[in-house]
Amino acid sequence: MENYRANLLLCAGTGCVASGTPKVTAALREELEKKGLSDEIKIVLTGCNGFCAEGPVMLVYPDEIFYQKITVEEVPKLVEEHFLKGRPYERLMFREPEKRAAIPLMNEIPFFKHQVLRVLRNKGLIDPESLEEYIARDGYLATAKALHEMTPEDIISVIKDAGIRGRGGAGFPTGLKWEFASKSQADQKYMLCNGDEGDPGAFMDRSVMEADPHSVIEGMIIGARAIGASKGVIYVRAEYPLAVERLQRAINLCRESGLLGNNILDSGFDFDLEIYLGAGAFVCGEETALMRSIEGQRGMPRPRPPFPAHKGLWDKPSVLNNVETLAQIAPTILNGAEWYRSLGTEKSSGTKVFALTGDIRNVGLVEVPMGIPLKTIIYDIGGGMKNKKKKFKAVQMGGPSGGCIPEDLINIPVTYEDVVKTGAIMGSGGMVVMDEDTCMVSTAKFFLEFTADESCGKCTPCRVGTRVMLDMLTDITEGRGKEGDIEILEDLSRDIIATSLCGLGQTAPNPVLSTIRYFRHEYEAHIKDHWCHAGICSDLASFHVIEEVCKGCGACLRACPQQAIVGEKKKPHRILQELCIQCRSCYDACKFASIKIEPAQPKEKPEPVAVDQGGSE
Amino acid sequence: MTDNMKILVVDDEPIVIKSCESVLRAEGYNVEGLLSAREAMLKMEKQPFDLVFTDLKMPEVDGLTLIRWIRKERPDTGIVVITGYPSQETIKEALELGIIDYVPKPFTPVALIDVAKRAVDWIKGPPAVDKEKEKEKEREELPPSMLNEIDRVIDQYKGKAGSSIPVLQRCQEIVGYLPPSVQKIVARGLGLTPADIHSIVSFYSFFTMKPRGDHNIRICLGTACYVKRVEEVLNKLMTDLKIDVGEVTEDKKFSIETVRCLGACGLAPVMVIDDETYGAVTPKKVPDILREYAVKE
Repeated sequence: MENYRANLLLCAGTGCVASGTPKVTAALREELEKKGLSDEIKIVLTGCNGFCAEGPVMLVYPDEIFYQKITVEEVPKLVEEHFLKGRPYERLMFREPEKRAAIPLMNEIPFFKHQVLRVLRNKGLIDPESLEEYIARDGYLATAKALHEMTPEDIISVIKDAGIRGRGGAGFPTGLKWEFASKSQADQKYMLCNGDEGDPGAFMDRSVMEADPHSVIEGMIIGARAIGASKGVIYVRAEYPLAVERLQRAINLCRESGLLGNNILDSGFDFDLEIYLGAGAFVCGEETALMRSIEGQRGMPRPRPPFPAHKGLWDKPSVLNNVETLAQIAPTILNGAEWYRSLGTEKSSGTKVFALTGDIRNVGLVEVPMGIPLKTIIYDIGGGMKNKKKKFKAVQMGGPSGGCIPEDLINIPVTYEDVVKTGAIMGSGGMVVMDEDTCMVSTAKFFLEFTADESCGKCTPCRVGTRVMLDMLTDITEGRGKEGDIEILEDLSRDIIATSLCGLGQTAPNPVLSTIRYFRHEYEAHIKDHWCHAGICSDLASFHVIEEVCKGCGACLRACPQQAIVGEKKKPHRILQELCIQCRSCYDACKFASIKIEPAQPKEKPEPVAVDQGGSE
Repeated sequence: MTDNMKILVVDDEPIVIKSCESVLRAEGYNVEGLLSAREAMLKMEKQPFDLVFTDLKMPEVDGLTLIRWIRKERPDTGIVVITGYPSQETIKEALELGIIDYVPKPFTPVALIDVAKRAVDWIKGPPAVDKEKEKEKEREELPPSMLNEIDRVIDQYKGKAGSSIPVLQRCQEIVGYLPPSVQKIVARGLGLTPADIHSIVSFYSFFTMKPRGDHNIRICLGTACYVKRVEEVLNKLMTDLKIDVGEVTEDKKFSIETVRCLGACGLAPVMVIDDETYGAVTPKKVPDILREYAVKE
């Protein structure tokens, strides 16, 4: 291996690629060539680094200097300063908005400082297309240990003692799942991986598959050994082409090196796996539906029991684990259950990856110990609200199956149990942060639209129930809500939860229940006052200039697509209600918060009253 | 048209027979009339009829008995019931015996002709088709290059359990979408019914039965994009291109699709055109992005 003075680890995750990694890479390559540094400095394209908001990002090794938002124009300067003159280039370093000082080292940036990387142990550090680099980071050591030194029972007991729980959403103990399947007698068993990340707002599985595909494969080999499976399938969304490509490459490399196929590492154990492309159906995240899909049918769930551990894919005992779950198997086998339990809480051990998105400053992927306060994730790692003038309103966890956690619960520790108590669920780890400009009724409606659309249609409570709820929510957001609607929504929710066949229906009402629980006043304001305080429901809002605050800057006037705003420079402006279409543009454009949102104005002007009551308008 | 179809009318009222004869003969049918079920049985023992119109309520032997006899002795004969008493019970029984249709009395000539015509069509069954020719017809819709590719994919997966989804994914790559002709070719190739294949195509959102534009725009409607108001971007796209989601522009250049989550939430709101990802899209940026593709040829 050649020796390089420095390695430039450029993020080639989907986020950074869209932000410009390919162009920056080409420019860097050219510049290094020009300065004659090509033999000393190596460019490595890595998987997702996690700090997506600041892309394209680059980590310089061994100095551990972190550069962000790199542009092609800055490349010559960067190369000259850092790699010729040896002075790290401050202009591209991370800065906290409040403080001026640049933070050169990656581990000192708050976004990274609070993280503990186990699942994402190799993120941004290795070339995901290289088997050697994975092995150099202790890759496949756990496989050797599991195949040569451990019995299937040993493996299962380590995973059980560690307390690993399924990271796909429900949090079922992984070791138990394996134990059930290992005890089933059959001529064929299957080890399956769920990479059909359907939760909108979560992208950790994509990231792991793209940045560290071998960690998933290794988890599957060990799992297969534990349950006695000789065949495996990774079910991946067709919308993740890069993940598919990297996994396929990794599988091929493993086959060539005897890590997959017959007699793995001379242990006498046979296991091979293939990739199956999902075709876009949220319900396929449910295990029985996913198995039907692999069988080439409509992905519809079936009642359990029989559980897949007894009758799964092709009616054979099968285990389905989530990508993130599988990625933590190898280090746990290697380091033991105690090591795994050293982080997290009694019932929620280890770490969890979260996808931080929404109205938050540091958008990206983070891995933290379980039990960390939600507040730490949002404010210390996430850096708080993107727009500092806006207040935090809620964080949505668990996607369409989850709920919103309001501000007064922000100190809860993030564990399976504590999150469930709030009415949300851990889910796959999507955390969508919303600021005060979010309408919670519309948010609930958004999720209902999703589940009503994705309901497979097999059972009536889910197919019809979600549709009825959606119609009611649509009515409420469009000004046709009635007294008593909230109670009917609550009743319906309980019935759908109690009678649906699978997890999709059983959790579909959660977003509605949780928003009613914490933001009931918003529902009431929509129904009774025809007032959407956030101004999102255009039928339930009217926009007005607060004259005392308005500086007359004209920003709103220029933003208005209807020419509904009039006013002279430096004098308070006015919104002509007859022309206003409640598009909210003025509200967003105003820098002085001088636009207020009031209840909807009556559509038609009331007829003049025949009897003059004197004095009334 | 009537191909000299032989029709026997059985009714104990001569006037019914008379009117049937005159109406149906005028249409070119070969019609005979008999006044009792017994006579009808005797007659039919000697010669077959294509179609029998029979009353239900008749003295001695009633219509249902005649129908049962015909089903047994002359199973190829089509039966239509004429009745003045279309009670639920008797009709139900007659239907269970396999009659084709019934005419309530009194009837107009038009109604009779109509029923006779439908019954004749039924007996004849769907027009005999050359199975091979049918196959060709579907294949004519596609250029040979695509056909070869599709055949290759089918051969590769043939006999492998659960292969319908991968095959359809490949076919969609080849053709761009999955019109009924492609679905039928795949069904035949894999030994499944077109209904099997269609049930899969209609279930999974990845499959489309409509052609896409040269540049397919996929816009993410995931939570992060929702919070960042992707809807405004979508609306801008729809107004600028003058199409709805799932449609193609007139010049076939663009089509719009929505996706539940592209897994690039860090860049919300996100849209993907062909394979290019655009992050942090605002309505303002839309025209510029579209222009890039409008010039691209």
